[in-house]
Amino acid sequence: MTDICIYAQVHQPFRLREYRLFDIGTEAAYFDDEANRRLLRRVADKCYLPANRLLTQLIRSSGRRFKVALSLSGTLMDQLAEWAPDVLVSFQELVATGGVELLGETHGHSLAALASAEEFRAQVAEHRRAIQRWFGQRPTVFRNTELIYWDGLAPEIAALGYQAVMVEGADHVMGWRSSNHVYAASGTPGLRLLPRNYRLSDDVGFRFSNRDWDGWPLTAEKYADWLQAAGGDSIHLYVDYETFGEHQWADTGIFAFLAQLPEECFRRGLRFVHPSSLAARPPVAELSFPRPTSWADMERDTTAWLGNQMQDSAQARLYGLRAAVLATGDPALLARWKRLTTSDHLYYMCTKWFADGDVHKYFSPYASPYDAFVAFMNVAQDLEQATLAAAPVRPAAAGQEGEVEAYLGGMACVA
Amino acid sequence: MSSTAPRSGMRVLMFGWEFPPFQAGGLATATVGLVKGLLRTAVDVTLVVPFHAEQSPLPALRLVSADGPADLVVHRVASPMTPYGGVAAYAEAQAALARGERRRGAVYGADLFAEVERYAGLAGAIAAREPHDVIDTHDWITFAAGLAARRVSGKPLVAHIHATEYDRAGAGANPEILRREREGMLAADRVVANSHALKRTCVERLGIPAAKIDVVHWGIDGDGFPARVTVPPVFRGHAPGARAKVPVVLFLGRVTWQKGPDYFIEMAAQVARFEPAARFVVAGQGDMLPWVIRRAAELGIADRVHFTGGVGGEDVHRLYRLADVCVMPSVSEPFGLVALESLRHGTPCIMPRTAGVAEVVRHAFKVDFWDIQAMTNQIVALLRHRALREELALNARRELASPRFSLEEPARLTAQSYRRTRPPTASAR
Repeated sequence: MTDICIYAQVHQPFRLREYRLFDIGTEAAYFDDEANRRLLRRVADKCYLPANRLLTQLIRSSGRRFKVALSLSGTLMDQLAEWAPDVLVSFQELVATGGVELLGETHGHSLAALASAEEFRAQVAEHRRAIQRWFGQRPTVFRNTELIYWDGLAPEIAALGYQAVMVEGADHVMGWRSSNHVYAASGTPGLRLLPRNYRLSDDVGFRFSNRDWDGWPLTAEKYADWLQAAGGDSIHLYVDYETFGEHQWADTGIFAFLAQLPEECFRRGLRFVHPSSLAARPPVAELSFPRPTSWADMERDTTAWLGNQMQDSAQARLYGLRAAVLATGDPALLARWKRLTTSDHLYYMCTKWFADGDVHKYFSPYASPYDAFVAFMNVAQDLEQATLAAAPVRPAAAGQEGEVEAYLGGMACVA
Repeated sequence: MSSTAPRSGMRVLMFGWEFPPFQAGGLATATVGLVKGLLRTAVDVTLVVPFHAEQSPLPALRLVSADGPADLVVHRVASPMTPYGGVAAYAEAQAALARGERRRGAVYGADLFAEVERYAGLAGAIAAREPHDVIDTHDWITFAAGLAARRVSGKPLVAHIHATEYDRAGAGANPEILRREREGMLAADRVVANSHALKRTCVERLGIPAAKIDVVHWGIDGDGFPARVTVPPVFRGHAPGARAKVPVVLFLGRVTWQKGPDYFIEMAAQVARFEPAARFVVAGQGDMLPWVIRRAAELGIADRVHFTGGVGGEDVHRLYRLADVCVMPSVSEPFGLVALESLRHGTPCIMPRTAGVAEVVRHAFKVDFWDIQAMTNQIVALLRHRALREELALNARRELASPRFSLEEPARLTAQSYRRTRPPTASAR
């Protein structure tokens, strides 16, 4: 019997204002609150609220036989708490059905894993506290930003108490093997890997409304047939939550598809499972990810975020400020710095598809990747000046341990 | 024989512009580029160009077809007309000729419009003896010549439009020039505009039917680009530990209302506040030059702004190479070849978002020409962050390597327009 494991990512970044040279040293507001609030409301109305309602109903009517996992980024939870408490309540009600498992991730939806192990731990811990605070759950399965994962990260994740990780079932990793099984992390056998079945995931996430696709129109019946035919122990379907109503608009029939899917699956003897229940199963084999692998693009690597000189230098600049920001002990400065770690800021600087005019692939608030870089670096400059101006609470010579404690303590105040 | 392009058997009689020796004008560069491209795509060209009797004509237009089949015949017609010839500019040129008394027997028209008619008369004579299948003209000054040629030969006429009087002069547009632009395009069998923006101007402001206008964006090649340039002493860093070269911000173009030199100089003063070592180069001539020089002094940056006057040949390449960024704050820029030249040299460019070139180039900063703060923001970032400069240069160079930016592509599209003209009358074939 094949099990179905569905996980959807819920994330919104704090987009920057068009922060100019002239703002450095005079303007402390880095983020475009008005646009961020407006975009949150739009996606909430089109996706989060209707999708939450539908999932709640499907879980209840199936007697919790229908199950999903969600991962909410810390920046999203911050935005919901501040600007859309009704939507936060909607998520809480959904989670209260008992049919939703929440995953762990970095609070800032950041690339900290690639930059600073210490920051990675701090953000994972902060995210865990936020999930605890808003939903009363303690995640046991982890997903890193954009599914970025490699062997070297496994011990870190295991040490933080997680039993399994969502990873990309990339061809270059899977080879002849099927993604429809539970695997063990190479070198860290206690950690389970749940590789994404990207074909079946992208059928819904990307291709659902594509009329040139030979699978169009995709009905729940047809899709359930495909799931049944796919075989294996468990099929791991990971998509953006925004697939439902935002990437695929309501008029494409995406909600009707989702509404009928559980019943079609039950009829074929397919079961829905939470990732944590898969984590308890014995692995069929080890999987090795020698290089950081993500779920993005054809390359499935990290070049969408760290693939050009601007991105590398922006990332270096940001993490170069970390120690000094922590040393100030100023929670407001730290909160601003942390929101800059969100991967979207680097994504906006990506030049890979820009030449093709293929900008519809991603949403960017900027006219070009170059404008994104300029705004980010101006903000970094201001943050550096603000950091220098702030009196450090402790001497710069303070040990690393002390700094991290200050960070963790400081973050609690910020929330 | 190498990969010889199939001979199209088409010969175009073109009334164009020769690259003037001491002026970096986009129109002349564009028509020379078009001729090069046509020759490479095996379209034969008879090029008629006016030359200033005051200057000696260039010894030869060095346009050689790589593959041999196409050929070029150049006719030079003595005339003080210039591609950007306003009425006042013509009067000035006339006066200069009178002072120099170097008329070489040519009889010029009393004013610009009379000269245009005189030129048209000569065009008719050339059309009568030069075999051709289609006539191509470049901007309003040559439209009358094209019409005269068509009357003689009965061959179809294409009107290339590079800029309208609205673009050059805005509210100060000369109504007679506007009338001639409009009538030339209406009378032509086909119109070629160098951008969608310019096509819109022709349709909306001059009433030209959209269906008869083709859009052909310009390309560029790297011919004659020097491999390496040395930094002249004036741009060398002197302070201990300074970079080998001071940061250079370039304005290259006619110093006229259309090109926005006034925005450039205000922007320079802002940039100087943040980057005191930066130098600014204003390369070009025009009626606003005295004003810009005075303004630089008022702003207290006279020591940091270099006015080169008109530059040509090697010096143009040298300037692009030395510059860290090329800024084009044009009020109106139907295309903007300077941007392509700059990017081809690997120098990042800031262009108006309304420029024709902005329709095709993606890897550049695009701004509102009046937004001095936005330009300052981008320039300072470019001067401060090597990653930004190199990423822009790298991506733009890759982008321009695409065949769509070659000289052949606009030539191919132009030849298509030639073929789209109404079939020649029975007597003409």
